[in-house]
Amino acid sequence: MHKSYIPKFAYKLAAAIAVVGLSTAALTGCASATDSSTPSASPLPELTLVTHDSFSMSKEQLAQFKTQTGITVNIVKAGDAGALTNKLVLTKDTPIGDAFFGIDNTFSGVALQNKIVSGRLTAIDYGDVCMNYDKAWFKAKGISAPTSIDQLVEPTYKNLTVVENPSTSSTGLAFLAATVAKYGNDGWQDYWTKLKANGVKVTAGWEDAYYTDFSGSTGKGKYPVVLSYASSPAYEIRKDGTSGTASILDGCFRQVEYAGVLAGAKNPVGAQLLIKFLLSDAFQRGIPESMYVYPIVKSTELPADWSKWATVATAPLGAGLDINANRESWLTAWSDIFG
Amino acid sequence: MVRYLRLIAVWAAPLLFVAVLFYWPLTRILALGFQAGANSVELGHSTIAAVWFTVWQAALSTVICLLLGIPGAYILYRRRFRGRNFLRVLITLPLVLPTIVIAIAFVAFQKLNDVYSIFGIDQNSNPVFWIIAAHVFINYSLSVRSIGGVWATLDPELEEAAELAGAGRFRTLIAISLPQLRSAIVSSAALTFLFCATSYGVILILGGGLVHSLETEIASAAVQYLDLGKAALLAMFQTGLTIAALGLSTRIGRRAVSLEQIDESTRLPRLSRRDWAAIAITAPTIFGLIAIPLLSVFVRAFQSPTGWNLDNFTLLATRGERELLNVTVLEAAGNSLRNLAISTTLAVIIGSAVSFLLSRNIRNRGHQFATWLLDLAFLLPMGISSVVLAFGYLITFNGQPFALRTSWLAVPLIQSLMATPLVIRMLYPALESISPEQREAAATAGASAAQTWWFIELGIIRHVFVTAIGFAAIASIGEYGAASLLTFGNQATLPTVLFQLISRPGSTNFGMAMAIAAILILLTYVVVTLVAVRRPRPAWLASR
Repeated sequence: MHKSYIPKFAYKLAAAIAVVGLSTAALTGCASATDSSTPSASPLPELTLVTHDSFSMSKEQLAQFKTQTGITVNIVKAGDAGALTNKLVLTKDTPIGDAFFGIDNTFSGVALQNKIVSGRLTAIDYGDVCMNYDKAWFKAKGISAPTSIDQLVEPTYKNLTVVENPSTSSTGLAFLAATVAKYGNDGWQDYWTKLKANGVKVTAGWEDAYYTDFSGSTGKGKYPVVLSYASSPAYEIRKDGTSGTASILDGCFRQVEYAGVLAGAKNPVGAQLLIKFLLSDAFQRGIPESMYVYPIVKSTELPADWSKWATVATAPLGAGLDINANRESWLTAWSDIFG
Repeated sequence: MVRYLRLIAVWAAPLLFVAVLFYWPLTRILALGFQAGANSVELGHSTIAAVWFTVWQAALSTVICLLLGIPGAYILYRRRFRGRNFLRVLITLPLVLPTIVIAIAFVAFQKLNDVYSIFGIDQNSNPVFWIIAAHVFINYSLSVRSIGGVWATLDPELEEAAELAGAGRFRTLIAISLPQLRSAIVSSAALTFLFCATSYGVILILGGGLVHSLETEIASAAVQYLDLGKAALLAMFQTGLTIAALGLSTRIGRRAVSLEQIDESTRLPRLSRRDWAAIAITAPTIFGLIAIPLLSVFVRAFQSPTGWNLDNFTLLATRGERELLNVTVLEAAGNSLRNLAISTTLAVIIGSAVSFLLSRNIRNRGHQFATWLLDLAFLLPMGISSVVLAFGYLITFNGQPFALRTSWLAVPLIQSLMATPLVIRMLYPALESISPEQREAAATAGASAAQTWWFIELGIIRHVFVTAIGFAAIASIGEYGAASLLTFGNQATLPTVLFQLISRPGSTNFGMAMAIAAILILLTYVVVTLVAVRRPRPAWLASR
């Protein structure tokens, strides 16, 4: 053979990669070096808030919090409520943040059981998971729009409903819980069996149900009834100033979203201040427009469209359920019906 | 001895890269899973069914991609016609789309399906049909471009001679072209198979969460139930699948023919009527399967409640900032491009270094096996569930010794990790197929190994090299998993912003999301086109 097959430039390449690697280590090393101070009575100048993907805090609100407390907030998004909870459980020994937002009442049991929360859970907002329907569709067909989820298993409403899969969507899980609460431990499976026989369509997530299957959204699908939120009609205002959709206010599950200080947080004092801020009017007022749910503080002023079109459920369901203990058996039973 | 030391020294950097970014977090999460009792997990019917579904749908999708892709490669890389370069880029665009956008784009087909159902052909009821269609939609370009890239450099003389001797196009293809392309075909098949086997969003969304594959089972075990034992065990199955895929592809692809390569600037024949068979397959694929969904995204991007206009785009510049998003779309695009630049550069450097090292002549069996293992080591990141890896990152890079998770660099680094196997799978077979005489001739003429590589080999595989850069860029720009897991504050990328918008009701959010999808497509188009711009070969290179 000729000389070595390894050309000189390969060493340079190796050196270049090593430099990239080391500088990465150095950069991130700096980041972790600041983390190692001990918690004290006065808050550290920085904190990390771990949230679900739908969380939103405007630049103005972040700036306001900084002016009030001197603390810069880093936001880390960790998936939906379920993924968020499980990631926090997985990392509870070296927490990935100081505070969290977005664990809801379907997952709060997991959080408490695994002791990831220091202190208590603080409710920040709530939303009602309700069926929505396309007003124009029912008007055009001359069928009266459903007023109860009971009707969705009737022949009049055959092949009209699309719901989210409870094993892959938190919205779907909320509705499953609502049916358990409404029809009882013995009746809910019967309801779903009838719903399936009546041609219900199942999607993986809210986005595909709402935007590809629901006829009342911009996606203009084929199904005039969709599992969504009581607030959604406020975002379907048509040219005439009225909403194109409405909610079936029966069979709604009330999702409550919590914030809290993470056990083992490096900046627990700052985290506490942030939770206080989340309850302040400055944040609560923005909740409807930024996260499409209702502020927990009742006196908060709602946007005009909301008071008109985003009616809350009259008798929301689910408050008495032990979701944490039953989730797995419900999902197994549900999958047996739809598997 | 010295030679071995030098060899180890050169391998050290890429190995360090993949060890730190992949094997370390993977080992930690798997260890945690096995502690949690992976060995006591009971695997029921559903798991076996999921494994079987994963294998057959990936195999079927791969076969369809090849059957459609080989004629496509012939038309786009072996023939000359107006608009050819545009089509080459067009077919790669589906790779960049987030799954939810693909689902929305496919609604256009489902409407077509209503027409079919009048005639009694109703595919709509079977989600698996749409899953496979989507896999072909996404991966078609992988076969076309990686096979075409090699095909373009083959000397057409052999094919022409066969035809002169009276062989038809089809016989020439079977007897002359395919054997020469075997290594590229096998390699692209392995890539497609792995992409389809680890596909998550497509199976989840188009299957309504009711169709189960290994990847969706892992995600539900990990994300829904935090059952790390089950997730770890299933991830081992995935690893087995990757090993099997590579093993099979090495077996079939081995003894690849050394090719007589030419400069691809040689004028190719024009597209002619005699190519009708290839045209009859390729035209409907490109226009029917690929262009229609892409077009429907654009249609929706320019549609607003008030008609056809630019409202969605103007809203992005104004309301998007105030309401939902922490960053402007311009910033998000900037972040996307920055990640792209870093991750593509790294992936191409590491990928070509590894391909180069792998392709050096192997003299004995021990070497051969070592090379195979190294090849596998760099391929595995593609075959493992991103959910498992993400969890591995969470527990590994969180505290000391380095908190990579909180650095913005984490996103491009993971993206480059994912793109590296893509680069290797394209470059390595192309390098292997270069006839050793060409290298040796250069060496005899006094060229150093570096000169041979730079001036001769890179010159020959330039097409494939360009394709590899393009795919690495696409892998970065459309990437959502790592970006969504790791982005914080103002580090949002275009896909994460798109997802923020589409998870809210209302025509404005939907319209803005579609506008972002259109921007994503256009940006990808520009990047891939720029990469492919043909630079004139320097005179001293052309004169070889």
